Formats: sequence, structure tokens, C-alpha cells
Amino acid sequence: MSQTTPRISFNAIREQAEKRRKELDETGLPKVHIGMATCGIAAGALETKTAFEQALADQNIAARIHAVGCLGHCYAEPLVLVENPGWPPIFYYGVTPGNAGMIVRAFLRDGDPLLETLLGATEPNDLIPQVKDFPRFAFEKKVITQKSGFIDPEDVYDYIDHGGYETLSACLEKSPGDILQEVVHSGLRGRGGAGFPTGTKWRLAREAEIEHKVVICNADEGDPGAYMDRTILESNPHQVIEGMVLCAYAVGASKGIIYVRAEYPLAVRVITKALQQAEGLGLIGKNILGTDFSFDLSLFQGSGAFVCGEETAMIQSIEGYRGVAQHRPPYPVEKGLYGWPTVINNVKTFASIAPILERGAEWYRSMGTDKSPGTAVFSVVGNVVHPGLVEIPMGVDLRTLILEICGGIPNKKAFKAVQIGGPSGGCLPERFLDTPIDFDSLTEAGAMMGSGGIVVMDEDTCMVEVARYFLDFTQKESCGKCTFCRVGTKHLLGILERITKGEGRETDLKTLQELSQDIKLGSLCGLGKTAPNPVITSLRYFREEYEAHIKEKRCPAKMCRSLTAFYIDLDKCARGCDACVGSCPVEAIFTTKDRKKAVDQILCVKCGECMVACPVEYSAVKKISPAQLAPIIPRPEKKEDKKAE
Amino acid sequence: MHEISAEEQQQIAVCIGAFAPKRGSLVPILQRIQDEFAYLSGEAMRKVAAHLGITPGEVYSVATFYNQFRFHPPGKHAIKVCLGTACHVRGGEVILENFQRKLGIREGQTTEDKEFSIDRVACVGCCALAPVALLGDKVYGHMAPSKVEGLILGIHLEKERQEREKAKHESNNS
Amino acid sequence: MTKLLVDNKEIEIEPGTVLLEACLRNHIYIPNLCYLPGMPHPDASCRLCFVEIDGKVVPSCTVKVNGPMRVKTDTPAVRKLQQSALRLLLSVHEVDCANCPANKQCALQEIARFLRVGLKPKGLDRLLKEPSIVSDHPFIDFYPNRCVLCGRCVRLCRTKEGRPQMNFSARGFNTVISFYGANRESMPTCEECRSCLKACPVGALVLREPARE
Repeated sequence: MSQTTPRISFNAIREQAEKRRKELDETGLPKVHIGMATCGIAAGALETKTAFEQALADQNIAARIHAVGCLGHCYAEPLVLVENPGWPPIFYYGVTPGNAGMIVRAFLRDGDPLLETLLGATEPNDLIPQVKDFPRFAFEKKVITQKSGFIDPEDVYDYIDHGGYETLSACLEKSPGDILQEVVHSGLRGRGGAGFPTGTKWRLAREAEIEHKVVICNADEGDPGAYMDRTILESNPHQVIEGMVLCAYAVGASKGIIYVRAEYPLAVRVITKALQQAEGLGLIGKNILGTDFSFDLSLFQGSGAFVCGEETAMIQSIEGYRGVAQHRPPYPVEKGLYGWPTVINNVKTFASIAPILERGAEWYRSMGTDKSPGTAVFSVVGNVVHPGLVEIPMGVDLRTLILEICGGIPNKKAFKAVQIGGPSGGCLPERFLDTPIDFDSLTEAGAMMGSGGIVVMDEDTCMVEVARYFLDFTQKESCGKCTFCRVGTKHLLGILERITKGEGRETDLKTLQELSQDIKLGSLCGLGKTAPNPVITSLRYFREEYEAHIKEKRCPAKMCRSLTAFYIDLDKCARGCDACVGSCPVEAIFTTKDRKKAVDQILCVKCGECMVACPVEYSAVKKISPAQLAPIIPRPEKKEDKKAE
Repeated sequence: MHEISAEEQQQIAVCIGAFAPKRGSLVPILQRIQDEFAYLSGEAMRKVAAHLGITPGEVYSVATFYNQFRFHPPGKHAIKVCLGTACHVRGGEVILENFQRKLGIREGQTTEDKEFSIDRVACVGCCALAPVALLGDKVYGHMAPSKVEGLILGIHLEKERQEREKAKHESNNS
Repeated sequence: MTKLLVDNKEIEIEPGTVLLEACLRNHIYIPNLCYLPGMPHPDASCRLCFVEIDGKVVPSCTVKVNGPMRVKTDTPAVRKLQQSALRLLLSVHEVDCANCPANKQCALQEIARFLRVGLKPKGLDRLLKEPSIVSDHPFIDFYPNRCVLCGRCVRLCRTKEGRPQMNFSARGFNTVISFYGANRESMPTCEECRSCLKACPVGALVLREPARE
């Protein structure tokens, strides 16, 4: 025991990993890597995998199928990387079971890479365009997600073979103070949203003179439309675990918890397995890598309460109570779980630790901006051509992210707004597109970094409705403890609801404005303090839309259903065409006297199915706001007689 | 109210017995019971309270705080409609309304024949397939009102088929 | 003892006293509902007891006096928040004082008078819960639309075993006080104790007549 060092203990493990890889490499077989995170699976990756296995068996081709995590290219799922000896590794996108068979036959058997269906190659070559020439790849700078999508998340050796846990073994030979110093020096700020300096938090925990200390990883990602944390945990759980162990070593913690939403069943399964594997190799648990340092790490499943992402509420829920926010101070880092000093950091924060300690604070600071160093991961969804996860250096502006990296707005629509930071964030209009994405610039603009959810909206999105949607969310998720959040958000929602229904009152905008300010100032916790942000920003930047709803009963984006109507332009409707009739769920479409179609405005539920069903060459279904402008066409009487019989 | 059988009593005891009798076990125990029975019965909550040395009221208080827990058995076919941001933008509400209209119940309710229940869920993480609904554990992407009808019709047809077969089977036996 | 200046009035108090408590003891009124003396951690949920210290508006129940400080209880910012919080509470309150047992001893009436807020708040719709009376306790009725959810009753209620008999249930706007699981065995404690009835600042908990079946 006395002779062994963490490095020596680790080398034995790494040799195992290398041995395994060499055995696989030396077979010289083609490799098919399939992205199998939640979004991949939802897009059909399981079926694609089965199809590959089937096709390989049918063609009698030996190849290795490698289930990997997510690369973040949601628009391209199921995404497959094929390594065929003699070729550069090639990405294929939208690989259906049919495509899988084709790739096996054409590429693996006959050597035709199917130029028309591939995304690109990962290495320079003469034939196939490289993915790094596409903006979606070129602008990215992967630190947190560097290994995601390349390794099998359920195989710890795969992570180790890609350099994982190397940093841990090296750091265990240094003093905890050195580790802490490096993290402080890196300038890393918490990726959970508020951007508190991680090093400062760790130092406070380290300086607390209490024996027991706790490290918690906050993976209670609840923002609708944000899924970075889930994807990271599903794709590379060990990088998060390694970061937590390093944190525990630096602050002197003996207990750790990963707090994950129960709504993420795959993430729960992957982490559970990762914890078992890490413990099996002595990377967590008692006497890590043969040292005196022990760190007990376990998983806790959240039960569906967004407010538990707030750290005091999270602690309550782990202790077995209602997840109700508590007044701070004391901050968890002074007095947290069971009264012990507790460091709570986000998934992305912990995932940044090993790279920082591996390559140094200076390297980390060389990315991003002066005050927000490093990279950030965003999930960009909504009306963009290439939605998905994007990791970029801090300070890249919104225009580059949305219009270049994510390919801009689809269907030739105009950009209208971008919602950053989920229910706590705000909506920014076009004139803010040049805002650099970092903690301070976004806060200044009225939005917020949040945990990294970005929703892009085109001209067909109603900003009042978006504000209503987010308030509906926060209102339902309020813990109910303090007056402002419990009652105030309910009123905000009520007012927004009546505005979207065309029942808004002249005084409503003033009430919204004042009440929002009071809730922001008066609420107990972060959830309440930020809940009015979607209202405040949309009122500031899109006031005329609110006014149109209230004064003219008109929804400029034609999104609010009470204020819009669908009608069929009889000049465009094709006589005898029935396309829309079957699509209507409530039989609101009838045939007019001249055998054209019309909408019964009383029966219509405004689902918009007929608009989709109407053949493009006619495009006869129209949407109009205010609803009264829709022409009223009476049903032919005959039909009613028939009905009456 | 739903009667708890002796076998279920036993099952509840097994769920609870797997955890240390300390307050911090409360949420994990409730999760285990919910997994097993799909809801928390009054009997289960009383047993949990006894195990942890707290009052049933304290258990109920915690359980009613979290979205995950139900207090009535769900329908045989649990329908969940996703209303995350992406689904919302693509008409998730319309899908929810269609289910409600077709089944004549509102979200959070179960049909009288205990066949269907409808719930809304926040983001199931399949944003690229929005709008999304779940029937049991199976995800149905790119939902449309016509698909709602098809899904429910499919279940009804399947049930009728099973009943016919059962009837046939029984008449053969007798 | 430490000295502090509240609205230009000098008061003396032992160090470690909660600021709200210090003011109340010295006859400086600050509106409050959820504060209970002697609790280890402030509940800080009613959001009424705001004061201004060095230009910052904070709930005075969360501040401990540990040295000299300057406190203002009557600035426009303080009053704005207090009035707003009170209006919100009133907007979910069934204002039917004539038929309420707490009439004339009700904390809401007193605070409304102090802050000059009408009992029918302008601009906000009244939102009431269903049902308006809950009778899950053998002899105490709960009125959700009178309750201000200050939680004083919940924090005081203890059975002989030291466990709470009443709790919050549900979440967010739907939060209510619940006696779920209250049974005859625990009733003797309730007979003697009645802390909840005494602690309620409004008329949300009422002894049912006849008191015992």
C-alpha cells in the first residue's frame, strides 16, 4: 500500500482499457457508431441499429456496432458515423432502417460511400467534403461535450481510453489546495444559470471547519426545451463523475449526490451503471485509487418539481420534505444538506473540471471572454434549420449562433425573437442579435444565461402567447410558499390569458408591468424573482403586440386561437377536392352549393389541420385575425334537413 | 375506493422494507411504490409513515407536492401529452384537446370504464418529433388530430377483438 | 446591548435579536403575518415585513441585529412592496368580514388599515378556491379562502410524539392546510392544545359547533 501511488493504481486500469481497444482495432473491422441518446432513440436509432445488424448478417459482413451518446445534431438523428478501413470516417444523417441496409450494401460491401446521403467526413481527404467546413461544426469548440457521441456511455473503459480519469489520477498526487487554486484561476462560472464563480464557492466550502461536506450535482434540468444536461449525462456520465470527485477532493467532501429528474429514465439508467463501474474500479467510494481519500457518490431522483432546481428546495427534497425554497443566508455552501457545507454545481460545471485541470487554467481562459471564460453548451430549438446542442466559446454573438451555426430560420420566414434562459429568461428582438452570449451581456439585455435553453421564434410566433406559455409553466411550478410567487404569478397568468383571448382591458398592461416588478423584487427565491422576466421583456420589446390584442382584438402573428379564424378562399378552392374534409377532427368543413368547401366557424376548433391538408397548388385555407373578418358562408340547407332526419 | 388485497399489502411491505427507516428515504420509497402500483394508496402512505416514524399527514404533504405522484389508479391506457416548448409551439395543446374531446375527460382524469387516463407532461425530450404523445411508454411523434382518432380507435378495435376471442374461447369451453 | 436607529428613533436590544422582533418590542409596527418568535430559521413567506437598510429592501424577519444599523420602515419602496403583497393576499381572500369570527381581530384588517389598502384590491380579479370549507378534522373546520398560508399553525402543531398533525398539501397556488390522516387517537392532544386556533391571524381555522360529535 505504501509504495502505490494514484498514478500507479490508475495505470493498471488504463492498460486494461488500451488492451481492450487494441483487441478491437486489430481485427481491422469496419465500425458503425450509432447515436443512442434519448433524442436518437426517439428518432428511431433502435430500429436503425437492428437494421444494421440485420443487414450485416444478411450480407455476411463482419463489423463492430458501437452504441455512442449524442453529438448534439438533433436535426440529423439518427446520426451514424461509419469507419470503413481505407476511407475517412463518414457521418450519415437521418439514417432510417432502409438507409442502414443501403450503407451496408453500397459502402461496406461495394465501396460506394453514397455521396448523396452522407453529411461529411471527419478527416481531410480528396473525395468527401469535411464536416468541419460546415458552420454547424466549424464554430463549435468542444470542451464539455468533447467526448460525447464518440464513446459508449455505458462503458467506463471507453472513457478511460479517451483520456478519462487520467486527470483525477494526476490530481490526487497534488494537494487539494493546488486543485482549488487552479479552478479559481480558471475563472469558471457556474453553468446552472446565475454564473457564480465556481472557485469562490469551492473555497468557501473548503474553509468551513466542519468535518462532513457534501458535493451535489444539479441535474434537475426542468426548463421546457432545454436538454443539455440530460444529453451530457446520457452521452458521457464519467466526465461529470470525474469532475465531482475532483471537487470533493479539493473541498474535502466525503459524500456526493447526483440529483436527476425521474423524467429522464435513460439518464438515470446510464448514471446508475456508470456509478457501479466507477466504484468497481476504485474511482469513487473508499480509498480512491489507493489513497486515503474516500468519496461516496450516489444518485437521487427528483420527483417532478421544477423548483427543486433551486438549491435550497433541492436540499429539502433530498432530506425528505416538500421542495420548498428557504431563505438564504445561510447559503448551502455554509449550511446545506443536513446542515453540512454543500457545494451544488450544474452538470456542465462539473463536466468542465477535468478538462480545466488537464490543460490548465490559462488554456481555459484563452477561450471565451474576460469575465465569462470557457465554453457554454446551448440547446437551440424552435424555428431553426439545424436545432440541437451547440458548444461554443462564450462571447459568440446570437446572430452567429442562430443564423450561421444553426442555419437560420426555415421556410423563408423572418426572425422575430429569441428566448434565452427558459422560464426565467427573456425574449430578445432582432436588434439584440449582435449581443455576445455571456453572463453579463445577456443579463444587461434583459434576458439571462439560464442553464442554456434557446428557443428561436419566427414571425408566426405571438409574443403574448409565448409569455403566457412561460407564465403558465412557472405558475404551475411555484412551490407556493411566498405570496408574490404563489399569488402574483397566478394573476400575471390570468391577465395574459384574457389578453390572448381578446378579453384584455385597457388597464391590464399597467397592472402587468407593476405586478411584474413587485414579484421580481419581493419574491423569496430565484424562481419567483425571475418568473416575470418573459412578461417584462416582451412588454418592453413587443408592446405593440399586446396593444393589438387588447384594442383591436387582433393577434398580429395569427397564433392566438380565440382571435383568429380559418376560412377557405372560394376563389382558390378546387371544386370537388376533399383533402381538407377528412383532416377536420370536428366535421366543421362542409360542401358549398358550388361543390367547394367552407368552414363552419361555430364548430371549428382552429387546429389548423385543414391548412396542412390543403394541396399546396391551391393553398385555399387562410388564417385571419381578428376572427370576425372571416367570411361567413352558410351551410346549404339541404344538408341540415338531412341531419335533422 | 380501491380495495387493497393481502398480496398488495405484502408488495407494499417489500417496497418499504428495502429502505432505511429515516426521513431521507421518504421520496425514494414513494417512487418505488409509485413504480410498482402506478399510484399511492392511503394504505401505502400509512405504512410508509409507520416505517419512518412520521404521521400519514406528513407523507401526504410531501407526496402532493411532487408531480410524479398520483393518488388514484390511472387508466389501463395512460395517455400523456407533452407540452414542452417545442411541442407547445407545434400545437401540443390541440393534441391534448383532441384526446380530451374524444374520451370525454379532462387532463388528470380517468374514464369511467378505467380504460384511459390523460395527463400533460413537461418535455419528454423528443423535441425534434414535436408534437409528441405517449401511450404507456411508447412515444408517438409528429402527432396530429387525425392520429389521435386513429390511436384510440386502434385500442378500441384491439379490445373488441380480444373480447370476441375471449367470448369464442368461453363458448368453446362450455 | 447594541444600539440601532429605526426611523430616527434609537433603540437598544440584545445582540442576535431578529430585527422585526426588535422593532415590535419597541413599539415600531411593521406589518407581518408569518413571523413566529423563537424559530431557528425565518419562514420569510408572507413578504410583508420589509424594511430598508442601506438602500436595500429586505424582510426584517431575516435580519439579525448584531451591531449598529440604520433601518427605515417607511420608505416608498418598502410601502410599495408591502401594499402589493397585501393586495395579492386580499385578492385570494373571501372578504366577508361581517360573517367571519375574526372580524375586528383580523390581522388582514389591521394591516390593510395601516397600509391604507382597500379590502377590495383594484386591478386584480378575486380568485377563490373550491371547496370553501374543509372538514377533515373531527372538530376544526378549515376555510381555504380565509387562509393567508402564513404557516404559523403548521409550525406549531405537534402531537404527543412531537409530530405535526396538520401540514401543507398540494403545491403552488393550490397549496392548502390539511389534516390528512388526523384520527381519534391523536385527538386528545388537539383537545388540549388548540395552538393552531390561537396562532391563526385570520379566521381560517374555526371550532366546529357543536364542538364535539
